[in-house]
Amino acid sequence: MIEFESYKLANGLKVILHHDTATPMVVVNTLYDVGARDEHEDKTGFAHLFEHLMFGGSINIEDFDKELQKAGGESNAFTSNDLTNYYEIIPANNLETALWLESDRMLSLAFTEKSLEIQRSVVIEEFKQRYLNQPYGDVWLELRPLAYEKHPYKWATIGKDIAHIEKAEMDDVRAFFKKHYTPANAILCVSGNFVNEEIKELIEKYYGEIPGGLKPARILPVEPIREKFKTKSIDRDVPADAFYYAFKMSERKSEGYYLGDFLSDAMGKDQSSLLNIRLKKELGLVSEINAFITGSIDEGLFLITGKLSENVDFETFDKALWAKLQEIKEKGFTSRKIKSLKNKMITSKAFQDQGLLNRSINLCMFELLGDANGINEEEEIYQRIENKDILRFAKSTLVKENCALLKINKKK
Amino acid sequence: MNRLIAPVTHKIGAISFITPEKITLKEHAPLYWMPKVPNKTTRIDLYFDAGLRQSKNSIVSMTSSMILSGTAEKSSTEIHSQLDDLGAFFDIGLSHEGVMISLFALKENVLEAFEVLIDAIQNASFPEDELQEMKAEKIQNFKININRVSTMAQRAFQQKIFHNTDYAELSEEADLHSIQRKELQEFHQKHYQKGLSKIAIVGALTEVQVNKISDLSKPYCISQSLQFESKFCNQPGHLHLEKEDAVQTAIRIGKTLFNKTHSDFLDMSILSTILGDYFGSRLMKNIREDKGYTYGIGTAIAETGGSGYFLIGSEVGKEHLSATLAEIEKELLLLQNEKVSQDELHLVKNHLFGQILKMSDGPYAMMDLYLSVESYGFETDFYNSYIQRIHDINENDLLKIANSHLHWNEMSIISAG
Repeated sequence: MIEFESYKLANGLKVILHHDTATPMVVVNTLYDVGARDEHEDKTGFAHLFEHLMFGGSINIEDFDKELQKAGGESNAFTSNDLTNYYEIIPANNLETALWLESDRMLSLAFTEKSLEIQRSVVIEEFKQRYLNQPYGDVWLELRPLAYEKHPYKWATIGKDIAHIEKAEMDDVRAFFKKHYTPANAILCVSGNFVNEEIKELIEKYYGEIPGGLKPARILPVEPIREKFKTKSIDRDVPADAFYYAFKMSERKSEGYYLGDFLSDAMGKDQSSLLNIRLKKELGLVSEINAFITGSIDEGLFLITGKLSENVDFETFDKALWAKLQEIKEKGFTSRKIKSLKNKMITSKAFQDQGLLNRSINLCMFELLGDANGINEEEEIYQRIENKDILRFAKSTLVKENCALLKINKKK
Repeated sequence: MNRLIAPVTHKIGAISFITPEKITLKEHAPLYWMPKVPNKTTRIDLYFDAGLRQSKNSIVSMTSSMILSGTAEKSSTEIHSQLDDLGAFFDIGLSHEGVMISLFALKENVLEAFEVLIDAIQNASFPEDELQEMKAEKIQNFKININRVSTMAQRAFQQKIFHNTDYAELSEEADLHSIQRKELQEFHQKHYQKGLSKIAIVGALTEVQVNKISDLSKPYCISQSLQFESKFCNQPGHLHLEKEDAVQTAIRIGKTLFNKTHSDFLDMSILSTILGDYFGSRLMKNIREDKGYTYGIGTAIAETGGSGYFLIGSEVGKEHLSATLAEIEKELLLLQNEKVSQDELHLVKNHLFGQILKMSDGPYAMMDLYLSVESYGFETDFYNSYIQRIHDINENDLLKIANSHLHWNEMSIISAG
């Protein structure tokens, strides 16, 4: 059980306090309810570029990192299609420094041209390093627009084109900040060893005076129901043919999310998962095969990905895969397999919950979904899953009309 | 409130470093146990003297990859399903110096999971069909990785830094093809069945449980103390590997150095931090935050059992290679010629104190701290000396250390892209 207290400041900032007396550190985690899905189609990659700019100085503080490092702290951030998250890890007795820094950049950024110019280059290098200069690196740039037609999940967080990042201007930066970086659009979680009343005073001191702003309304294009199977093949200079089957599945808040997560583990998480045993070990058709879900807040994807063994043609594999999927839809899994998956989930949760940062981020994520206490309820939801639930999910999800397939063929 | 003024910062308090309990498995094989864990999680690390230095890379690496792939009694799938049933995970790490196999489980299952694990490791039979499957997988991965500029640079760097020693050996695709089952069995017999060199347990187990783990492990212990190669000398100079379609160039720069046993180690660690081992380091500030040539650049001191080396690594836009190398050289010269300012020194010291505090957060972190000094013959007192040295070091000490170890013409420089 992860204990916490939550409340709201007058300006709309949601605050979560999580007490842990065992650690000498404090984590200050700030989640903004803005991600790549909130971008305009002609200006993609902006939420992530903006994350970089958040380290380029704020209205009263020239050098964010320097001040944090002087206090023995460190910081990082990440952006997804759904949200942007920032954190500081700092010795408990210097907690105030983290609140000072984080609240000042919520108040306003410095908006310097130099910072924009440099971070554009840095993000372009990140784009190259992660997506262009790696074998199979551009898969998500290709797969997203195939799997989604209307919803902004059709572009990757890094952006759909380097040109969008090159063209980002200061006016875009200011407008983005004004719209999305307000207390009303943020969740703050402070975790560690402190006295709650003292920390509340500090939070009020640093955040109370920031103008609240309005929580921006999010009206996103609705993804149409897919009626037929889609497929795309691309040729790349890679050593093995690769496949990416993307099935549409329900959103994060639905029961389907948990079923999809569970089923993907059973099918393709590790060496003892079903597709590994049947298609790799027994039939030797693939050199690797995985199943996982994107877990996005809006309608997500259930993926089966992997690489073909040398000299195996795609049609042979494709036929075998669909036969296995049919088998899963008819029989599901043994009660031993279901029980053992549940046991593994309990162990991994116990290890994950040890980390203070992990707990802080998760508390904010669940609060974003509607209730921070979701962090304590999740395990029970998994424990309730039965074979009949898995069958129901598999039957409605793992069907051809619901699937988009990307194939990467090695250049002959 | 005046937001222009930073809140007062405080020094970190004293850290009481916890030493694990030590139980001797056999003369040269200790068992360390950290019993105070406030929850049910448990980790058992098994160290084997079965690293890359012991034989041909392809044989060593294949043996570790297949160590849980079946025994005469059980198939690979049976072993993994048994661990799954117990909710247990494992992880296998391979380096030049050894192999570490870690087991993660809740304490009520850990003993049973350990029995499955140790049986699988010690009775591994390397079934022929599993070998063929793993070969295919490794060959495919090899083909994927060999096209990465980072891999190209890393391989060339390894040859230069470990020049003319066994550590410089690289695996080629043909080596993977030619692996014979018999070679794996022989290596296993020598380096796993008689190669257990250390166990580390973190978990609130009972003494009876720990004794059981100890009893099950004893028959496999090494009979001599570990000896490591210590005579390395890197080959300086710049080697460029061209890759036409690359959009970035990987850079690796470094030279032979030393490990914790050397008297310059602490000062050099602090200097390396200033140069490139934190977000506000000189290289990050210059190459990323001022020039925008890269997403990241960093330095490290990598330790081996008997030596160590210094490393600078980055991936930069292809057009920025020569400018980046010039800037790195400039930064090295600067550290040799100009004293680090009081401001910067103050900042780095506080950053390092914060890092030490973070690295000592909880029983797992404490065990890892201990393990990273014990193999060099130190106790946790090492960290108190480190803290003291951070307090004491001044700009003159740093100037001196930079002049001893950061000469550009002594560096092996690799670029690939």
